[in-house]
Amino acid sequence: MTQFDGKGSQVTVGVPAGRLKPKRVRRNLDLTLWEKLYVFEIIRGMYVTTKHFALNMLGFVLPPRGKKRSVFTVYYPDEKVVLPPAYRGRPVLVMRPDGTERCVACGLCETACPGHAISIVGAERENGERYPLSYVLDMTRCVYCGFCEEVCPKEAIVMSSEYQGLAETDRSRMRYSKEQLLRSEESVKGRIEYIRRIYSKCNY
Amino acid sequence: MSEIAKDLHTEHMVINMGPSHPVTHGTVKFLVTLDGETIEDLKVEIGYLHRGFEKMCESGTWYQVFPYTDRLNYVSPLINNVGYALAVEKLIGIDVPERCKYVRVIACELSRIADHMTNVAAGGLELGAFTAFLYFVEARELVWDLIEMLCGARVTTNYVRIGGLKNDLPDGFKQKTLEVFKRCRVLWSDVNKLLTKNRVFIDRVRDVGTMPAEEAIAYGFTGPCLRACGVPYDVRKANPYLVYDRMDFEVPIGETGDNFDKYLVRMEEINQSMRIVEQALEQLPGGPINVDMPYYRWQSKDDIYNRIDSLIFHFKTVIEGIKPPPGEVYLAVESGNGELGFYLVSDGSGKPYKCRVRPPCFPLTAAMPRMMKGRLIADIVPTFDMINMIGGECDR
Repeated sequence: MTQFDGKGSQVTVGVPAGRLKPKRVRRNLDLTLWEKLYVFEIIRGMYVTTKHFALNMLGFVLPPRGKKRSVFTVYYPDEKVVLPPAYRGRPVLVMRPDGTERCVACGLCETACPGHAISIVGAERENGERYPLSYVLDMTRCVYCGFCEEVCPKEAIVMSSEYQGLAETDRSRMRYSKEQLLRSEESVKGRIEYIRRIYSKCNY
Repeated sequence: MSEIAKDLHTEHMVINMGPSHPVTHGTVKFLVTLDGETIEDLKVEIGYLHRGFEKMCESGTWYQVFPYTDRLNYVSPLINNVGYALAVEKLIGIDVPERCKYVRVIACELSRIADHMTNVAAGGLELGAFTAFLYFVEARELVWDLIEMLCGARVTTNYVRIGGLKNDLPDGFKQKTLEVFKRCRVLWSDVNKLLTKNRVFIDRVRDVGTMPAEEAIAYGFTGPCLRACGVPYDVRKANPYLVYDRMDFEVPIGETGDNFDKYLVRMEEINQSMRIVEQALEQLPGGPINVDMPYYRWQSKDDIYNRIDSLIFHFKTVIEGIKPPPGEVYLAVESGNGELGFYLVSDGSGKPYKCRVRPPCFPLTAAMPRMMKGRLIADIVPTFDMINMIGGECDR
């Protein structure tokens, strides 16, 4: 492909399709009589699947280190997957030790939210401190993008690792209020440390 | 024979396949006119997953488009993120740091592996090869675990930012990737053993859905389907973005463009993508991952917590959005299905004036009647799988 470098001269970028050395896939497989007879091919296929089966069964008797079995499946309600620290679950509000929220109702998360899931009504305490009078998070609209956490200047809203109890049969019950969203600082400590690490220095 | 046929009262039958038929991956409807089992005419009706992506983008800031791009081709969301970010960066005229480019390449190729694996696995499943499906879905889960470790979500990644990335590679990512690839290669060779020389599979896919190269170009084919027709066109080679010109990989091509060629090309591309990721991890340089331009990339939390001017600037950039200069730009990247292009128009405000997407699977879906006329109705299933139409991307 030809491009202009701004000074009027042509520079060539990339490899034109005519000069590219492609790799031709082997399409006309010459099936031997052995392969055409089909029965032996079935046996070869059975060998592949039986090997998987045998290794999986052996994995129940002699499990690999650090695992209960070599099968890939997780037996969900009894066992749970180990989530990485980056995992984004339900957004929650962080509570100070005295029971009030860290949020100062600046409205950045409300603006940054692509789904318009958050609606805040701010108010002022007697000592002049701002706080959210109501903080409604509509989980029918949330897309778990994590922008609220990324823009918050007070570490007040974080994406926790909660993923249970997010489904409801009634949409009106998915509009969570401030009281339902508040979590203690200890319960989301890992996440706060993680976002401090990844966002604190943009150019690390 | 003709005497008997004269007396037989035969007429064409029109049937609907879809929109929620199990073999149509996206929600799409086929209106098939049949003569016995032979397809006389086929009409594809799309639009069941139309969400107004391009209009939604116009109502948000430049940053808020990222979660929407995740949902274009939801099997390879990172490539969509990268494509949009590169288009905006071209509009602004900034160049991201080296490390960021390498990490983006790694993210793109992981997504491509997941995309091709899903496609081949589903193709096997639809022809009755359930075992091959399970093996490739296990491999895809492993790749998605890597992506989850990197971005925090398996499918709705939202990882790339304008002028950088959300976060750097996590600790131990390289070692985990190499472990995963070891297992992926084992599963790949198992699927290869089960499908490639399988006579049942070959009889179902070979010489079905053929397409001459000239016609494929005329229809606007790109990606693995065009390469299966024998045209060595790959955006990564023809117009390299990021650091693809430094990577050593081959472009596999087929001959006739039938479903067997498409399958073989995709299987080979999985291997090539794994090679690219390994090379990128090997060459990965140190240094920053974000551009140092607070006007376009949100500032670090350190500055926002501690400096009042940074805090004020942060409020301004989040609420008003970043403001690229007025102009228009088109940039294409090689997505799982082909050339994914973003055409952006900026009027200098904080919101995109226009955000048009060139979906790679739209021309492929448009060629379905051409590929299917005169074939049997059972051939719709493998052909439609191998063109890999993704509803979220085609209908937008």
